[in-house]
Amino acid sequence: MIRAQSRAAWSNDFADSNEFMTSPQTTSDSRLSDPSAWLDAHGDYLYRYALVRLRDRSLAEDAVQETLVAALRSPGSFGGRATERTWLVGILKHKIVDHFRKTAREAPFDSDEGKEIEPNHLFMQTGEWVGHWVAAAEPEKASSFGPFEWRATPEDFVARTEFWTVFDGCLKPVPPRLASAFTLREIDGLSSEEICDILGVSVQNLWVMLHRARAHLRNCLEQNWFKPAAGGR
Amino acid sequence: MATGLFDKLKMEATFWLGRRLPACDELARVMSESLERRLSARERMRLRLHFLICDYCRRYLGQLRTMRDTARERPEESLPDAALSADARERIRRALAEREE
Repeated sequence: MIRAQSRAAWSNDFADSNEFMTSPQTTSDSRLSDPSAWLDAHGDYLYRYALVRLRDRSLAEDAVQETLVAALRSPGSFGGRATERTWLVGILKHKIVDHFRKTAREAPFDSDEGKEIEPNHLFMQTGEWVGHWVAAAEPEKASSFGPFEWRATPEDFVARTEFWTVFDGCLKPVPPRLASAFTLREIDGLSSEEICDILGVSVQNLWVMLHRARAHLRNCLEQNWFKPAAGGR
Repeated sequence: MATGLFDKLKMEATFWLGRRLPACDELARVMSESLERRLSARERMRLRLHFLICDYCRRYLGQLRTMRDTARERPEESLPDAALSADARERIRRALAEREE
């Protein structure tokens, strides 16, 4: 039910942006003079976009505010080239990156950062097969230790909001810098160089961060979504 | 009889390879890096040999790729409960009004 509603709201959004695309002249002029109309039309969208990346409500609210204020200062930069929303998201992206840069300057990366989230219990800690999967070395434990076979393919779950709730829940215990590295790389698809520059880390550090975040997230998604016992979804 | 011998040989080969290749936890790091850079010929060969004897690592790499493909397709509406609070909305409206004057 909830999903049906959000889907309906989403298709309205699409209808909106289509309107912008087909008649940019008439819509852009009237809306440019009224920034509170931006807030009504795009506020929640910008907020959700920021929340996925900043994972903190007040940081996301600040980012939306800074974005709209910046947009107000330079309405001329919206030349009707893109939709109003795309323009605002472009500004928001810069605000989010500014936040990451600022945080990175305040605390340099420590190579132990996020070590605690690595799912080491999946690997043998002692004995002849130290470092190998517990599931492989001790087959009788294979039913409780992963990696399991994931039967679902992305088409099965990418559009399901429940999946993303689990996904965001799994990112919660990840230290902010690692989670930022992960979202910049995997959701936004930035290059390693860009991310190293933003987060102020070496490329070797970035690889370590991504490895830790991925190892944790993989295990967490498996336990809470993909594992057959979790409902066989 | 013949299958018994084959299984025994396969097991011996598995142990032999398993002892000579880096362990799974080390390869997990290499597999993550394979999404970031081109692995060296040596790393690629080790990984391929390891995959021959370890279904779990092969599965692991596939899952890292699935996670990437999934994340890239994340729909922006996938936070259904998140909307600006009335307070935040009001604060932003005031900030905009101040700047506009």
